[in-house]
Amino acid sequence: MSDETLHIPVEKARSPLAEAWEMFRQNHLAMVGLAILILIVLGAIFGPLIYPTDPYEMVWAPFSPPGQEGFLLGTDYLGRDILSQLLNGARVTLIIGLAAAFVTVAIGITVGALAGFYGGAIEEALMRFTEFFQVLPTLLFSMVIVSLFGASLPMITFAIGVVSWTAVARITRAEFLRIREMDYVMASRASGAPGMRLMFTVILPNSLPPIIVQSALMVGSAILFEAGLSFLGLTDPNIVSWGQIIGSNRQYILEAGYTVTIPGLAIFVTVLAISLVGDGLNDALNPKLRKR
Amino acid sequence: MQPGVLDVNLKMRSFLAAAMVSALAFAPASAQDTSKQGGTLVVSLPGGTPRSLNPAVQSGVATGFPGTQLFTAPLRYDEDWTPQPYLAKSWEVSKDGLKITLNLQENATFHDGKPITSEDVAFSVEVIKEYHPFKSMFEPVTSVDTPDEHTAVLNLSRPHPALMLAMSGQLMPIIPKHIYGDGQDPKSHPRNNQDVVGSGPFKLVEFKPGEHVILERYEGYWEEGLPYLDRIVARIINDSSARAIALQNGEIQMSTFENEPTILSRLKDVEGLTLTTDGYGGVGPIDWLAMNTTRGPLQDVKVRQAIAYAIDKNFMLKALLRGTATEARTGIHPDSPFYNPDVNTYEFDLDKANALLDEAGYPMKDGNRFELNIELPGFPGYKPQTEYVKAALAKAGITVNVRSHPDFPSWAEAVGSMQFDLSFDSVYNWGDPVIGVNRTYLSSNIDKGVWSNTQGYSNARVDELLNMAATENDPEKRKALYKEFQEIVADEVPIYVTNAVPMHTIYSDKVGNPPLGIWASSSPYDKVYLKD
Repeated sequence: MSDETLHIPVEKARSPLAEAWEMFRQNHLAMVGLAILILIVLGAIFGPLIYPTDPYEMVWAPFSPPGQEGFLLGTDYLGRDILSQLLNGARVTLIIGLAAAFVTVAIGITVGALAGFYGGAIEEALMRFTEFFQVLPTLLFSMVIVSLFGASLPMITFAIGVVSWTAVARITRAEFLRIREMDYVMASRASGAPGMRLMFTVILPNSLPPIIVQSALMVGSAILFEAGLSFLGLTDPNIVSWGQIIGSNRQYILEAGYTVTIPGLAIFVTVLAISLVGDGLNDALNPKLRKR
Repeated sequence: MQPGVLDVNLKMRSFLAAAMVSALAFAPASAQDTSKQGGTLVVSLPGGTPRSLNPAVQSGVATGFPGTQLFTAPLRYDEDWTPQPYLAKSWEVSKDGLKITLNLQENATFHDGKPITSEDVAFSVEVIKEYHPFKSMFEPVTSVDTPDEHTAVLNLSRPHPALMLAMSGQLMPIIPKHIYGDGQDPKSHPRNNQDVVGSGPFKLVEFKPGEHVILERYEGYWEEGLPYLDRIVARIINDSSARAIALQNGEIQMSTFENEPTILSRLKDVEGLTLTTDGYGGVGPIDWLAMNTTRGPLQDVKVRQAIAYAIDKNFMLKALLRGTATEARTGIHPDSPFYNPDVNTYEFDLDKANALLDEAGYPMKDGNRFELNIELPGFPGYKPQTEYVKAALAKAGITVNVRSHPDFPSWAEAVGSMQFDLSFDSVYNWGDPVIGVNRTYLSSNIDKGVWSNTQGYSNARVDELLNMAATENDPEKRKALYKEFQEIVADEVPIYVTNAVPMHTIYSDKVGNPPLGIWASSSPYDKVYLKD
């Protein structure tokens, strides 16, 4: 032992990302969710290429049940292939989910950050503004937007985003309030960093974890929201989304239940997977839950 | 009179013991027909909340039902399109067709007890002529003479056979001059919806928008023993599934103007309920695909014919409408005596469609020839058809973009101002072709808002035929004129007529004499009764 130096086991410093991934990996449910989600995304991207049937084309007799006549998921009331609609609809549904979540996060972070950073009158005004949106019945408000400005894809995305950003704004503000008093922010401020820089390069990255979790969940709720709007007929009739498949087949629910069950299940599984991943992210990113 | 107090009392009693009370009250009065007297009939009011209860100033079936109970008309029609006496116990048409004399019932009174006179008939014609949306109905009527209290003579500028139908149903309500002649605008008169003084078999008890219209037997009705019913409660149930449930569990005993295939197929086999399409010939509702003949490729008749060939009408009737609807081929309802089924029917033929489009100079490029928009109406029920047309025309190389409208006004604006290519529409004949058919085809009626000639269709021969038929008093000659008219418009397809709207009357076995004449629920219910 004498010729050996004293060996102190030093843990190799790992990047925070790797650390979070480590945590995430240990959460089995979250991993299952992630696997499902990857499958769905792959299906949305490559599905229509592998299975090129046109979702609008009437390919067979209406209401052919799943598995018969070579149509894995059957046909709808016009004799259109439901599998093809599902694959094409996945793209639209996921795009709306992601885009609406992006709108939500963009508005939410801006409002929350400004309110939390500046405080005072600006905070007052912005938070009252947030509360105004919070008390509006969200589905009704988005229905009004869509009926007023037309049911196009961007408008639906905007309508979903504009009614659901309040949670993100409140979380961001709370994080900013906490972090802006921390020493490193003080130090940065003392060394003359301008407000914008402080806000977006010093405070924001450190307040991201809860926002990331929230936005992941936002994707799920935006998908549900879109399904709700489509079900009520507020949808662009020239695109297929899962909610729209349900909406246009709902009249036939008694005789051909599968036409609404299949897209319904697809929405359910996707939203569940997103929730599981969101949960896993929460565990992985929350420092209080980390084993030190 | 204190309607409020009376109302509360009646309400409390009627829902619990209406049948019993009325049986006691009327049993001695009419001994031989005790089973027919009394009772409260609960129906659903077709078409939702009426904008007005006065059919002199408001069209539509929602106004039609309460309107025809509250106000009498000179004539009524039976199932065979034969006029029957109503307020006019007899009538004569002069040889030249320029004078129609109505002999009124002598003991007829308004609901406030004042007698109904020829003055009121003259006044009603005046109001309808000026304020009713169907201008063609009374347009040739130049004046109404009133030689005595019970004789009214309508003077016409030209023969106008359509007037006979326009004197029945909800089209010619006799309204009291002493109420509506007070100088206020009849269109927005306060007595249109409240404290209505009518002339019909039932009087108004209460009208609650969005909830119900309650009507009560008018004791002073001129015909002894009528009406049979004590009361009619017309509930306003906007959701068709809710109406289906109400019919199923007996909450309402009758519903009219039901046309949703899923509801019809659900109620078809329910015991104790009868479904029938009888009674809609006069109203004459038909569905069609309108084509704007003034825009783009649709200006070419070959393109319009190709579209008709590319659409499989049988598929629409069987799969989308589930066999509830009958086929229609022209702008005249199949139940009308003027209907001509021997026209070009455009049997589904995709090859023919493609050949016609090639001929018209729209060759297929990468599976696509040209693009068209189709407006999705803001009223329910046309989504499957619209989506079907998109899918069907794609096979002929026509890319169809669906433009959806959140509500009726937005759709009506697009179609009414002719800013559309294709759209499904549902238009009613309203009795005589002069009233409900001419408006769609006459070139003088182009671009006059929704339900005019929004197709921009113009054909001199069609104009001539329609105008000749409008003044032709001989039914056979009229029929021949309409026959030729229907052949031309079927060939030139400014509209592709798909089907008669599968309007159904659904009634419980307890209802006697349901309204199966030509006007459905827009006809008097004085002879409707409840069986024990």
